[in-house]
Amino acid sequence: MKKGILKLVLIVGGFVMVNTTSAQVNDTVANACAKHLERQFISDGQQYRALLMNTEETAEFHTTLYGGSIYRIAACSGLSDGNLVFTVYDSERHLLYSNKDYKNASFWDFKINNTLDCIIEAKLNGEGGQSSGRAVILIGFKQQK
Amino acid sequence: MNRIKSHVMLLSVTSLLAMGCGNDGKKETEDVPPIDSTQSTILNVNGEIFSIPSPIQTSWLLKNSGAAYSKTILNPANKAAGYSTNFAKGVNLGIYGADLGYVTIYDQTQDALGYLNSAKKLADDLGVAGAFDAQTVGRFQKNLGNQDSMLVLVGVAYRSSDAYLKNNDRNDVSGLVLAGGWIESLYFACNVYKAKSPNEDIKRRIAEQKSSLQSLIKLLTQFYSQPEYTEFVDNLNDLQTVYDKVEFKYTYQAPSIDPVNKMTIINSTTEVKITPEQIETITQKIKAIRDQIVG
Repeated sequence: MKKGILKLVLIVGGFVMVNTTSAQVNDTVANACAKHLERQFISDGQQYRALLMNTEETAEFHTTLYGGSIYRIAACSGLSDGNLVFTVYDSERHLLYSNKDYKNASFWDFKINNTLDCIIEAKLNGEGGQSSGRAVILIGFKQQK
Repeated sequence: MNRIKSHVMLLSVTSLLAMGCGNDGKKETEDVPPIDSTQSTILNVNGEIFSIPSPIQTSWLLKNSGAAYSKTILNPANKAAGYSTNFAKGVNLGIYGADLGYVTIYDQTQDALGYLNSAKKLADDLGVAGAFDAQTVGRFQKNLGNQDSMLVLVGVAYRSSDAYLKNNDRNDVSGLVLAGGWIESLYFACNVYKAKSPNEDIKRRIAEQKSSLQSLIKLLTQFYSQPEYTEFVDNLNDLQTVYDKVEFKYTYQAPSIDPVNKMTIINSTTEVKITPEQIETITQKIKAIRDQIVG
């Protein structure tokens, strides 16, 4: 009986600790990433993240970018820039942009004249040596002047 | 391509040890505790993550179209106290976020304070810590009249709220907040379109909600078995039947790149075909859905 209770306490305690640790990691990465948006761009109010278990896995984000706006997409993993490769495609999978062509830039702006449904793919930069990690994508916007 | 999937593993003493040893600070991209299954499934359906555009952007469009400020299209701020279930609180937190964006864009600072307080009340009731704390409210008050700063603060508060809900495995509520904001902004657009002489930009914005609605339905269908979600998702599916007939013709054109300013200019175009009858039906259906939510 006592062993059973101890086991339960370990499991519940462990679960709480893991969730707390995980949340803190998310917040740390997201806060670092948010610095690429704030003051200039309005956040869309969402935080997109995915757990990538290896450098082959790809997270896929679907979004709509409205015409008449300039968007900033910030993509981060870990606390330094350049750990995440992100690629933007239109709904027909035409390549629109990849930060791989620009030294894994951690953010990039998109001027949208006509509303566009697009797909953002994110994967870890294998050349950086990270075998797994959390991908965070943030989207901000402002009006075209 | 090996897309992300949920990685569900049972908690064990081994995983506890792994967690304890994980934070060695040597790698900048952190090692991942292997049992952390929930964090990768946030608003994530079959390895895909969906985003819903901010309602603030539609309010901008309405103001730019010349539409006058109309308090009657908003959900009165004083109704916040009447929402008793987590479902009602979550979806109305989204509705009040859209209202807060709308009044801010129209420079209605006193109304903005009222909506900020309503959003804060619902967030507090839902146990969302930090998003609308005293510091955020203080910064908002200090920046009254500075529209750009106010909108940035609204965006940050809602992103904090979204992060908190996801961190705490409350993806259902996170989805409701998004749904509320989306419904309110479509409701605004339909009302303004009806009140003004037909405006092509607003008509187009109404049509452009087709893919966002599809995303919302995918997100919320995960929670379909919960009683309050069942009718809600059914209603959204009913609205989807109208959108199914809205047509788009997309034409790809190569983008232009401005590497100095780190900018890509998207040159592709989309033609939209939506009939007045379809807009009228969408207007009626979104009103009915919203009426049920705001009470």
